[in-house]
Amino acid sequence: MGSLAPGQHAWSEAHRPYPSTLPVRTYVWELPVRVSHWLIVLAIGVLAFTGYYMHDPFIVAKSSTSFLMAKMRFIHLVAGSVFISAFLLRMYWFFVGNDWSSWRSFWPIKKRQWRGMGNMVAYYSFLKKDLVHHVGHNALAAVTYLLMFTFMLIEIITGLTLYTHVRGSWLLGWLFRWIPGVIDIQYLRLAHFCIMFTFFAFVIHHVYSAVLVSWEERNGLIESIFTGYKFIPRHELEEDSDQVK
Amino acid sequence: MLPLNESFFGALQQKGVNRRRFMKFCAAMTATLALPPRYVAQVASALEKTRKPVLVWLQFQDCAGNSEAILRSSNPPVLDVVLDLLSWEYHEIVMAGAGHQAEAALNRVVKEEKGKYLAVVEGSIPLADDGVYCTVAGKTALSIAKEVCSNAAATIAAGACAWYGGLVAASPNPTGAVGISEAVPEAKVINLGGCPQNPANTAAVLVHYLTFGELPAVDQYNRPLFAYGRVIHDQCERRAHYDAGRYTQEWGDEGHRKGWCLYKMGCKGPQATFNCPSVRFNDGTSWPVKAGHGCVGCGGYNFWETKSPFYERLPNVPGFGVDVSAGKIGIGITAAVAGATVVHGIASAVRDRMRTTPGPEKP
Repeated sequence: MGSLAPGQHAWSEAHRPYPSTLPVRTYVWELPVRVSHWLIVLAIGVLAFTGYYMHDPFIVAKSSTSFLMAKMRFIHLVAGSVFISAFLLRMYWFFVGNDWSSWRSFWPIKKRQWRGMGNMVAYYSFLKKDLVHHVGHNALAAVTYLLMFTFMLIEIITGLTLYTHVRGSWLLGWLFRWIPGVIDIQYLRLAHFCIMFTFFAFVIHHVYSAVLVSWEERNGLIESIFTGYKFIPRHELEEDSDQVK
Repeated sequence: MLPLNESFFGALQQKGVNRRRFMKFCAAMTATLALPPRYVAQVASALEKTRKPVLVWLQFQDCAGNSEAILRSSNPPVLDVVLDLLSWEYHEIVMAGAGHQAEAALNRVVKEEKGKYLAVVEGSIPLADDGVYCTVAGKTALSIAKEVCSNAAATIAAGACAWYGGLVAASPNPTGAVGISEAVPEAKVINLGGCPQNPANTAAVLVHYLTFGELPAVDQYNRPLFAYGRVIHDQCERRAHYDAGRYTQEWGDEGHRKGWCLYKMGCKGPQATFNCPSVRFNDGTSWPVKAGHGCVGCGGYNFWETKSPFYERLPNVPGFGVDVSAGKIGIGITAAVAGATVVHGIASAVRDRMRTTPGPEKP
């Protein structure tokens, strides 16, 4: 590399060793993000199955020693603990993780995020042909995840309240026993059950849009939730870091 | 009427209740109060010495079910004990006096025994239209309750209606019915929820008051913890079938005949807190789940609204018809999203084909 002329930047087009459209291997999803993602997937799967059985025991045991419901409830409680742990890990990572997993990327507080949401709505509703690429979450997805995190929190609160109705420590009792006095326990149960279906609907939509956007962006989006890495064109990466600042 | 200063045990002996029966009653009450057996002696000595306090029983918008529950004891000595614990000066359904005489008895108690007598209220109090929907002797239920309950040492709200209005206060509540705590906030009230309340619990509250001079410990709804502190499901005799996964699927099916769990028939035992499985009704004979019908959670707050429908696991979702369960709505939403996703996927594939400008570089 020769010396730079005055006013010429090291990153200017002429001095780039390769074109800006070539992808850069970028570490987007850190380990706690991926671990909490898959633990939540696993836990919701187990919780939904055992929870549905607890709502409507569709298998009626013939044997008196099968303890089917007792086992389902036990698995439900264990999976619930895993779910809460994964949720708390993700909440913690909101504050210590990188820019793409920070809580700032979820709240639509900047004009740019509202514009991005409009772009995504236009893309999904076929008003726009092309997708605006993002390194992390697009603004619409981020708001959807925020909603899902809220639903998860409601599931955790209603679940622990139902748990303290029969069991629980003094701490859980102190935290949650007052709730059935405000909202009847039957409505807590109804909410706990109904929100499960929003998870079903979300999973369908989430997998579909991940495949669709991965196909459009061609940056290894699907693989990134396993490996953590996306392959982002350099100019997109630079735009993204400009926007985050 | 026995003289007021006569001791409770003396009155019982006059009626031919012997010491053994009396001790059995004390033991039963101690057990109902969830006290250790060593308290039997304390309960017995307190009851022996007690000067019978005066009790008045007020009936407002009610079905007399709570009076019936306490009067229909099938075991006469226990009934005697319960009735003789106190000097019942006023109870519309059982008293001999009528008209002005009866009202005079009530007025005398309120004046002469001020701050010392116990009041039991059965039924709700209407507040709408100046309380015209329930009047006794020309006075509204509200004015009677204010006069009697605010001057009582303590008020026992017997049954769901006296607690929060019960069936009468269920939507649309045309009479503006409320419970005694709301109608007379200054009254010292203990709530005995249930439809009807269990007379054993009423008796136990009275025994506790006579023995220790205070009302028993209560929960957030002012219900005694000894009766409402535990979940029915955890004390139920059908609980083993629940854990084993054996359920009644239809009324009269094999599981129902074998006494399997009534969870799928909408039993509210897992929600309700009450001591029905241990104390039972009609002198320990039976209770709804033992008799083969699911619990409706009658001991809970506002159970006509919150525990209905009685034969379904979950409440109806507001805005949908009564036939549409939450599960059906959920499955419908999930299916709609799945369908929309398939349509969107096809449309996206078509868009990809139709792009005139070159899309992302294909590898």
